[in-house]
Amino acid sequence: MTSTIAGRTRKVRRGYGRVALAFLAPAIVVLVLVRLVPAASALYGSLTRSSLLTGDTRFVGWENYAELLGNPDFRGAVGVTVLFTLIINPLQVAIAFALAVLFTRRLAGVRWWRSLVILPIAVPPAVSAVVWNVIYRPDDGLANAVLSVLGLPPQPFLTSPDQALAAIIVLLSWVGVGYWMLFLIAGINDVPGELYEAAALDGAGPWRKFFHITLPMCRRPLAFVLVADTVSNLLVFAPVQMLTGGGPEGSTNLLMYDIYTRAYTLGDLGRAQAEVVVLVLLTVVIVAAQFRMLRGDSEGA
Amino acid sequence: MSRRRTRLPLTILAAAVGILCAIPLLWVLTNSLRPGAETFGTISPLSWETFLTLTPNVDNYAALAGTSLGRGILNSIIVSVATVAVGLVICAMAAFALAALPFRGRSAVFSVIVLSFLIPFDAIAIPLADVFRTWNLQNTFTGLILPGLGNGMAVFLLRQFFLAVPEDLAEAARLDGLGWWGIFSRIYAPLARPAMIGAALMLFLFQWQAYVWPLLIGTDSEHILGPVALANMQGQFSVDYGLMFAGAVVLIAVPLVIILTLQRYFIQSVTTSGLK
Repeated sequence: MTSTIAGRTRKVRRGYGRVALAFLAPAIVVLVLVRLVPAASALYGSLTRSSLLTGDTRFVGWENYAELLGNPDFRGAVGVTVLFTLIINPLQVAIAFALAVLFTRRLAGVRWWRSLVILPIAVPPAVSAVVWNVIYRPDDGLANAVLSVLGLPPQPFLTSPDQALAAIIVLLSWVGVGYWMLFLIAGINDVPGELYEAAALDGAGPWRKFFHITLPMCRRPLAFVLVADTVSNLLVFAPVQMLTGGGPEGSTNLLMYDIYTRAYTLGDLGRAQAEVVVLVLLTVVIVAAQFRMLRGDSEGA
Repeated sequence: MSRRRTRLPLTILAAAVGILCAIPLLWVLTNSLRPGAETFGTISPLSWETFLTLTPNVDNYAALAGTSLGRGILNSIIVSVATVAVGLVICAMAAFALAALPFRGRSAVFSVIVLSFLIPFDAIAIPLADVFRTWNLQNTFTGLILPGLGNGMAVFLLRQFFLAVPEDLAEAARLDGLGWWGIFSRIYAPLARPAMIGAALMLFLFQWQAYVWPLLIGTDSEHILGPVALANMQGQFSVDYGLMFAGAVVLIAVPLVIILTLQRYFIQSVTTSGLK
């Protein structure tokens, strides 16, 4: 008796499994085609080298990785990417949070002003690069026209090794900050109002309320935004390719662009694939952290 | 008392930030409404005419029609709409299996699917472009559309909504003789309408904003997408800035109108993605 019941449940289970597989199949096919195949191809390619003369491909093991480590362009790109990551991510999260706090206060026309900050999130990266390329023109660009009204001297922006990376950070923040602000506004709105009322009864001022209630209560959305923002900034490509070409003097040569030039300008596919593998491993680690944060709450709910 | 004292400066700050963010867009819009030759004439010295024009005309928009930029925008619409139509079905089917069908190893499959789709596509675009070239998918709409069909955030969001559908409903429908496809398409999908709209928006934006992939795989005149066509313009010897700005406005306005119309669902999907 018991065994037949167990057998039947197992059968039902297996039945569900087959139905589930049918529903999952298209997603799994896409997943294999556009994620796993290229990942495997990059991994294999990173261990081989093709000769331009004969077209032969031979297995070279870790050689590409070792040579990459010693390559000055790659090391420069890693340095620029680390510097860029350490500046842009805290900066964008801090600005997005400050704006979220500002735009959740009861101020005249606050919804209108907030919508204006959100508008740029609709701008595709390549379009923002084209627009800011004109803004940053050294002789007749909009940015220098604004500076001259303020009585400031004109700046070289994208043509200066000291300013090009900062110019790209401003461009990216114009598009990005409004997006991250949306998540943080949702976080602030979820803080229970009673906490503020209790704090007000205790005589807490606005700064104390911010540091003792708003900031700690928003720790989760803040962490999520920081991680998600880091991933997206790790893959910045359009403004570098369209505005600076990694220059001047390699000052904006971010990893994604370095991979692109290594693969297509230098035709050094093996080492480009090795660099892709490094970049993918880096993003997988960060994305896994992001996924844990996405999942943590909802599984309990 | 202190509240009143801080409110005015804060209102001014909020207004200033908003206006500052919108100014580049206003400037783009204005320059799309006047001849390209006037773009730089009005910049220096700065005046109200830099940002506004009293004689707007839509010649630049009319001129888009015959250009590769116009073609690119049209292609972007085709690719994005096709991605939403097919991708939404694929993502919703996967989310349904992961929410409504108990099977062994479900949570492991869920993690693998969502996690691998969350790996940013751009990171592996270059090796995939090599693979697609060997499969002869370069300069085809299939090659352009395929990477956009699976979206981890969309699967994740839809699964959250599907989990909230009472199991009894599916059970009752089964007893009435409805198959799994019927349960999915007639019960789960309609009940999760806000999530379906939010997921459609994600799929659309992925394709509309893409640059790396179309640059690698679709560069001939028949398969060029809007952002790539726009980027190509600035490399040309003489640039028609009026035309360029008109193209930029269209490429910005399409997602903007969609986001503003569907704002409700977008915010909903943001807040239900487990961030609360």
